[in-house]
Amino acid sequence: MRRVNLYHDKRAQWAVYVVFFGILAIIPLSMDDPFTMNQYSRYGVFAMLALSVSLVWGFGGILSLGQGIAFGMAAYGMGATMQMQYQDPVNDPIPSFMLTNELEVLPTIWEPFWHTHLGLILAIGIPVLFFVIFGILMFQARIAGAFVAIMTLAMLGAWYNMAYDMQPYTAGFNGISPPSAFVAFGVEVDPYSNLIYWVSLGVLCVLTLATKALLQTKFGTIVQAIRDDPERARFLGYNVAYYQIVLFALAGLIAALAGLVWVMITQFVSPTSLDIFFSITMVIWAAVGGRMSLFGAIFGAMFINAAQSYVGDEFQATWFIILGAVFIIVVRFAPKGLAGLFEYVFGFIPYRVRGTSGARGDAHSASE
Amino acid sequence: MSVHDFWTPFALEPFINALIIGLSLASIWLVAALGLTIIYGTMGVINMAHGEFIMLGAYSAWVMQFFIGIPWLLCLPLSFFIVGGFGWLVERGLIRHLYDRPLDTLLATWGVSLVLVQSVRLIFGGEPQYIDVPDELSTVMNLGFIHIPWMRIFIFFVSLGLVAMTLAILFKTNMGIQIRAVMQNKEMAASFGINSKRVYGLAFAFGAGLAGISGAMFSGLKTIFPDMGLGYVVEAFLVVVTGGGEVLGSLATAGIMGELFSVFSYFTNDTFGRFVLFVLIVIFLRFRPQGIFTPSMARR
Repeated sequence: MRRVNLYHDKRAQWAVYVVFFGILAIIPLSMDDPFTMNQYSRYGVFAMLALSVSLVWGFGGILSLGQGIAFGMAAYGMGATMQMQYQDPVNDPIPSFMLTNELEVLPTIWEPFWHTHLGLILAIGIPVLFFVIFGILMFQARIAGAFVAIMTLAMLGAWYNMAYDMQPYTAGFNGISPPSAFVAFGVEVDPYSNLIYWVSLGVLCVLTLATKALLQTKFGTIVQAIRDDPERARFLGYNVAYYQIVLFALAGLIAALAGLVWVMITQFVSPTSLDIFFSITMVIWAAVGGRMSLFGAIFGAMFINAAQSYVGDEFQATWFIILGAVFIIVVRFAPKGLAGLFEYVFGFIPYRVRGTSGARGDAHSASE
Repeated sequence: MSVHDFWTPFALEPFINALIIGLSLASIWLVAALGLTIIYGTMGVINMAHGEFIMLGAYSAWVMQFFIGIPWLLCLPLSFFIVGGFGWLVERGLIRHLYDRPLDTLLATWGVSLVLVQSVRLIFGGEPQYIDVPDELSTVMNLGFIHIPWMRIFIFFVSLGLVAMTLAILFKTNMGIQIRAVMQNKEMAASFGINSKRVYGLAFAFGAGLAGISGAMFSGLKTIFPDMGLGYVVEAFLVVVTGGGEVLGSLATAGIMGELFSVFSYFTNDTFGRFVLFVLIVIFLRFRPQGIFTPSMARR
């Protein structure tokens, strides 16, 4: 018999995930409001972004301020795919914004998006490939800490400018707004329906559980060891750069999927998806919820965004002051966020388990 | 813009003009980055609120002129002290507790910047404000094919003056010697009786004050609005990090970056020039993360 913190019990954690996603999944059954469903699916996307930040920063110790790169790239890929679904190959082969920009033929980089499947593969594949290359560039050189933050930030700024500037290809500031909803396998994903909510939640659920499972493997343990002391992990013989690159790319993959779903929901993509402010906001969600807990990060994203829309546009300035202040307090006094608070409180609940296995060494507990 | 006129061919006179614009831009980035250089170089803090310190400098100049009627030139040194004092408070209340967690200082100062932007928006409104500058500075200098506003020339020389002043403070005063001692080895400096906490506080205040003076100066060049800081902070960071956190490094980097950007922009356009510049910096940092000059200090 050994006394442990219930918070670190793996079975309890999985139970929480099942209950959480179970409750979220049946929400549409109790209400029939397409606009609310659209709103909620957006929270799902924000949660995916917080998940990717939590994975790369909370568990990998890599503070990436450039998650928006993957998000934005995938969003543009998806925007192009949906736009080409609307276009007719014979009568109307060129999107209208290109015509106003004096393009007479469809640019070559837009050609693959005629095919929905190829478009989706590109929308996910290109950002992930970019993150792999960018990761190799940074982590092979053993760049860490604030330098990663600055480099990802600069790269994000570069892509933002690019999206803004390549007006004939990206519609510049106005952005691409595909006129019709996304159609996959003959099913139209109406952005104002229960379906879109389940798509968003489904992707979030699968990503979360997969990440959770991944972090419980040997890979997850090594990644956290690298976060706590890269030098020591290197001396133990682990290829630190390899693990960091893979982790960075996985976080990019999650952010890319978020971008994909985002455009399905909004039918709109513009340079704001590559905005620096947006990418740092993702970090705030994860930090407030608890970056070292996937559940905390997801909850943080949902809670903060729900609160933000509840407050409304009228008090937006006040809201950001509160958010900034909360963020400062969290960073200063509670670096583990809300989840850390729960961990602390649960430490007082007497809870015993038999033996030593089963309730030990979980992902959440591995930090300090 | 259409695709066909993307590339501008070379011509001597506009090219020289572009080089001069590059110098002017470099001086703006330099003066924005100078305070950040002190803060980053001394304590290794990535101050994300630096752009907002610049914004505060601009607003304090505007308030002093609009409500009290202080002439613009006098606003510059006053902004230094106002924003410097504010920076000192931020260091006392927040940064001081986070020195052993460098990534968290980055995030906490981002929180500070969020609060500052929105507070200013709440107090002064989001609409742009204008400031009156002396008539001599609001005209344009004409030298044949070269047209430069006097304001830009003024900023160019003031930025060089500020660099000289900073170097003088760092190398000729007691305070500067203490700052450099703490920079190189905090514990060793402390054992020689230097109060490193006080030095950090003053260095941060000095860096913030430099942001304040640059903000007041930019207020003469452009309009003032709550988000204006974001327009400077990314470039300022790149200057500082590429320059290795040293004053002369920042001077060199700002010059190179300004010229490169201006030349790229001349051949293509502003946004594409910026894209190329950012990518080049990322590649540069990959090979020389310690910056353009090897720093003499210990890296924390």
